Amino acid sequence: MSLLRAEYRKISRRKVFPVMTLVLITFVGLAAFFLFIFGEIAPEIADELPVLEKPEVYTVGAQQAVTQTWFPLILATVLLGGELSTTVWASALTRDSRRIRQLLVRFFTYSLATTIAFLFAFFLWVGLAYFFAPGEGFMETSEFLSIFWKAGLVAIAWSSIGTGAVAMLRSVGPAIGVGLAIYFAEQFLALWDVWENISLTAATTALFFVDIGGGFGGFIPGGDLPLWHQLAIIFGWTLVGLGFTWWGLQRRDA
Amino acid sequence: MADGSKAIVVSGLVKTYGKTEALRGLDFEIPSGQLTGFLGPNGAGKTTSFRAILGLTNPDAGDIEILGRQIPKGLPEVVKQIGVIVEEPGLIKSLNGRLNLLVAADTLGFGHDRIDEMLEFVGLTADAHRKADDYSKGMRQRLALAAALLGDPQLLILDEPLDGLDPAGQHAFRARLRDLANSGKTVVVSSHDLGDIEALADYVVVVNHGELVTQGPLADLLEGGGTRVKAGDLDAASNALKAAGFEFERDGEGLLIDSEDGESITRSLAEAGIYPSQVSPEKSSLENVFLGLTGLDVR
Repeated sequence: MSLLRAEYRKISRRKVFPVMTLVLITFVGLAAFFLFIFGEIAPEIADELPVLEKPEVYTVGAQQAVTQTWFPLILATVLLGGELSTTVWASALTRDSRRIRQLLVRFFTYSLATTIAFLFAFFLWVGLAYFFAPGEGFMETSEFLSIFWKAGLVAIAWSSIGTGAVAMLRSVGPAIGVGLAIYFAEQFLALWDVWENISLTAATTALFFVDIGGGFGGFIPGGDLPLWHQLAIIFGWTLVGLGFTWWGLQRRDA
Repeated sequence: MADGSKAIVVSGLVKTYGKTEALRGLDFEIPSGQLTGFLGPNGAGKTTSFRAILGLTNPDAGDIEILGRQIPKGLPEVVKQIGVIVEEPGLIKSLNGRLNLLVAADTLGFGHDRIDEMLEFVGLTADAHRKADDYSKGMRQRLALAAALLGDPQLLILDEPLDGLDPAGQHAFRARLRDLANSGKTVVVSSHDLGDIEALADYVVVVNHGELVTQGPLADLLEGGGTRVKAGDLDAASNALKAAGFEFERDGEGLLIDSEDGESITRSLAEAGIYPSQVSPEKSSLENVFLGLTGLDVR
């Protein structure tokens, strides 16, 4: 509990989490604005935009929010990297008898914080969609509740990539660079049939897949992956990320 | 209190980074219950030594023992008994002083019962509600010291803790370090300021180029500085001393005789009819000793 309390105090009082959450919400809000509000302002481009109607629009919102996977990646990198750069915290993380607990509590905190941020963005989308999207109805209750655990899984997986990068590189800047390189490379590789079967981006997107048709829908990877396959990919990447994190933290001379 | 035991024993420590030999078979011991000054010029291997001791650097060879435990295997058992300020103190600037200590206590597995006591010890009780970002450099160093002391550690390792502090801050910090050593804790301080170490330390370890230069009680290191003679007629005094077989140097302060035998020096001068105004033991300064041992040229 004391470790959790410490992590809560650290993350709740620092600017990085609220500022990043604001950026996330802005991105998702802008996407919502262009997809189902902008057409009202500029009807000449309305034909080129996919038509998002209720209730599918809510699932699209979840997808838009939770696929902002740069968020957990950067958040975890910055928070863990900041601690590794100071001797006293690096020593606690890597040499303390409670080092496994130290790592797990931090990882849990980063993932939970990310999940909360994802949900903020999702609920912003829900609000905008409720008032501006055409159609009637809301998500099934089971689908709505599933967003919570799916967001958590995505947060865990992408946080592990961030912690793995910074634990190996022991420097926040380069680790963010590597993390973003993975993030962007994955966006493209996920469109390749072969890679799609192991792509974390595809699995992340597929968790909230809804066929909205048109050119827009054709660029959403992972639509054919069954749920068990999506979960296996996410679990596998999480293990890889955590493995690199643990290995990186046990290295000395980093 | 010093009891003859050793808090840290390092033997044959070797560490190479690429082509740079940071540590070249370094041996030293830090006695328990004393304040030890850990000295060396830039690049001597001080910080590398500290990092090896804390398990953050993997030596290529050598043994390290801390509080009776072999490192790195025994480090998890002793790490809570070591308070550390090495490189950045790791304060969270957006938190106030008290919250920083709460976070440190929770993260390091200590209770909260010593927080008020440590704030008072470092003189930050009145400023505990202020953000660390608003603290001066000296206040941040004191807060870092408070955090390092939360677990009532047996051993304190402080790397350049007085760096960047103003004179008042240095004075306050030095007083606290001395109090800690007087209370029986083992305190290891590295500093570029030899005056600080001379004022503070009981024991000194001097390293250079990754090797031990010397170690021992500070008092032993500083004795043997010769005898200072001042007289109205230094030429006559020089002749008398030369005739008596003494070796000496003449400088702006008078004559510095390479001997601690004040009685013989005085007799030689008196027999020559010279009555000096001063015949006293010349204590070496740590700066002179350090420069002499490390071969550094101040010019």
